[in-house]
Amino acid sequence: MFPRSESQLNPPLEQTVQRRIILPAKVRSLSFLRIAAVWEAFLVALSSLRQNKLRTGLTLIGIIVGVTAVIAVVTIIKGLDQTVAQTFSSQGSTVFTVSKRPRVITSREDFIKFNKRKDITEDDAQAIFRLCNVCWRSGVAANDAVPVKRGNQKADAIALRAIAPTAMFDIDAVAIDAGRFWSETEGASGQAVCVVGSDIITNFFPYETPDQAVGQDLWAGGHRYRIVGVLQPLGKIFGVSRDERIFIPFATYKKDYGLNIVRGTFNTSGSLVVFVQTESSDQLESAEDQVRAVMRNRRGKTFKDEDDGFALETEDVFLNLYSKATSNIYLVTIGVAAISLVVGGIVVMNIMLVSVTERTKEIGIRKAVGARRKDIMTQFLIEAVMVTAIGGAFGVLTGFGTAWLIALAIGFPLLFSVWSAALGVGVSSIVGVISGLWPAWRAAKLDPIEALRAE
Amino acid sequence: MTEATVATTQDSAGVLIKPKMPSSDGKADLLIAMQNIWKTYDMGAEKVHALHGVSFEVRRGEYLAITGPSGSGKSTLMNLIGCLDTPSQGDYWLNGKNVSEMDDDELARIRNQEVGFVFQTFNLLARATALHNVELPLIYGGVPGAKRHEMAKQALSEVDLTDRMMHRPNELSGGQRQRVAIARALVNHPSILLADEPTGALDTATSYEIMNLFQKLHDEGNTIILVTHEHDIAARAHRVISIRDGLIEKDEQIR
Repeated sequence: MFPRSESQLNPPLEQTVQRRIILPAKVRSLSFLRIAAVWEAFLVALSSLRQNKLRTGLTLIGIIVGVTAVIAVVTIIKGLDQTVAQTFSSQGSTVFTVSKRPRVITSREDFIKFNKRKDITEDDAQAIFRLCNVCWRSGVAANDAVPVKRGNQKADAIALRAIAPTAMFDIDAVAIDAGRFWSETEGASGQAVCVVGSDIITNFFPYETPDQAVGQDLWAGGHRYRIVGVLQPLGKIFGVSRDERIFIPFATYKKDYGLNIVRGTFNTSGSLVVFVQTESSDQLESAEDQVRAVMRNRRGKTFKDEDDGFALETEDVFLNLYSKATSNIYLVTIGVAAISLVVGGIVVMNIMLVSVTERTKEIGIRKAVGARRKDIMTQFLIEAVMVTAIGGAFGVLTGFGTAWLIALAIGFPLLFSVWSAALGVGVSSIVGVISGLWPAWRAAKLDPIEALRAE
Repeated sequence: MTEATVATTQDSAGVLIKPKMPSSDGKADLLIAMQNIWKTYDMGAEKVHALHGVSFEVRRGEYLAITGPSGSGKSTLMNLIGCLDTPSQGDYWLNGKNVSEMDDDELARIRNQEVGFVFQTFNLLARATALHNVELPLIYGGVPGAKRHEMAKQALSEVDLTDRMMHRPNELSGGQRQRVAIARALVNHPSILLADEPTGALDTATSYEIMNLFQKLHDEGNTIILVTHEHDIAARAHRVISIRDGLIEKDEQIR
């Protein structure tokens, strides 16, 4: 009944096992050899994504948008942080100001309220100088905006800053590039001299170097001033140049324009800003207390009055406002990113479900030849993660690109962080795992018979 | 013998019986033992019995054909033999292992190691080369890359396709595709080669060629089970089991 001898055709069990031991069972079950299956899954995922380029691309969009938003905002804010830190640390934590209105006003009601306050006058400044014994250096500044003209070059409103004494240059933390600051005598006697920011030279003396511009005349607000010095550039902050301004002595300003004339809503020409600097930052608080007491006294405020009637601010005010604003921006960005990642995740899940349906037959074949649930699961998870990780990588690139463009436009240092790139790709990969789980599970538990029957 | 087994178990239906592997009585060459296999499908309110009490044994090296009209239950039986499915009742021993109690992943492992499938429609991965298709069982068996290539090439040379290794299925003729599928079935040295209407999609000449290949593989010592409804194909086997209405109608040694 059997064509061959018993021993040849029906080898004993031991021997049969021996024949098949080319792949010993022990070795097969070792988990590191599952690398073969994982690598297969990887290749299959790659070819599947390549096969459906358009679909893959569309799937990526949600993820790309989310990651782009995060990377761009993080990069921009990191750059701004550095700019802001440099800018405000230049004045140092030993300076505070006394002014009529705070520099930052957040509501119209406040603006009206602050406008009703008394102006800060020279008398106020004198009283502060006289009565504050912790104070080291102090000065006054009046800010204005005036039309400027030189030959054919004209501009409608250039920032004009009138300061006294010359120590205010130090408090303002500006340095001379060409020429000199005006002398104390020139300042006090109200000479028609000025020190200009570097952008003034660029705009009004386009064919001259700062050195050549020194000694020449400039018309500002209808008055002629001789340039005695040009400042080193300070650069931009939030896209606004800090070098397009003209400094003149306070006495000159008083002579040419007079005080207590409000020429515009936003200039403080009628009201002065008093600058106070202490020798060390430890003394700042006691100096502030002294000045506050002096000023409250002058404004006739008692203990009962909540409002000072003036604004006493350090640079911290601005820094606090800045960090509050940026943390809000962070929150909004995280929100936008979260929404687009969720939407992106749903799209990926949808596409993966389509992919599972399309490849039911393939799943059946794989299962028939021995793929286990976790092999199929791995295959589809890898595919989902690959889509989202690629989306994340693209997002990182476009995010950095966006930040770079914005940095180019408004001028701040670009700090690419590996950390945010890794986070971008990492988070989107996690989105891939989450949105791939259910489709992969559906694929894994397909009945091989049913799956093989699919067309 | 078949009827006797059926009778016994019908008496004790509902009672959990733990039979011993039949080979324990000394028949070391016993490869398949089906003992009173039932397969029942729950169709809503109605229960459909695709198989009711099928028992038979297959020894190592047999060339068996399972025939029967459509709806006879032969596909269900093939799925059970191939470990794609488990019986509702009864025991199935394959190469000393009781398959009827296995879970999905254990079945996958058995399919990987013990069963080589050949399908009517070939069921090759369309995007993969012939070589990769043949490697597929080895990939899931965890065979390292170099070894895998070598084994797959060996299997392809056994079906005379050494020169078509890098072709995709759509670049191959029907006969060549079926030979790739046979190479895939053989590559892991399974206990049984299970072919479901392997010539169903092929013309007469190619069918003849494929059947000759099966003959050659059997001569080399492989155990082959053919599922077919064509009598002339079944006639190439050495033993024919006819299924009708979920029962074995005839089990005869024809060669």
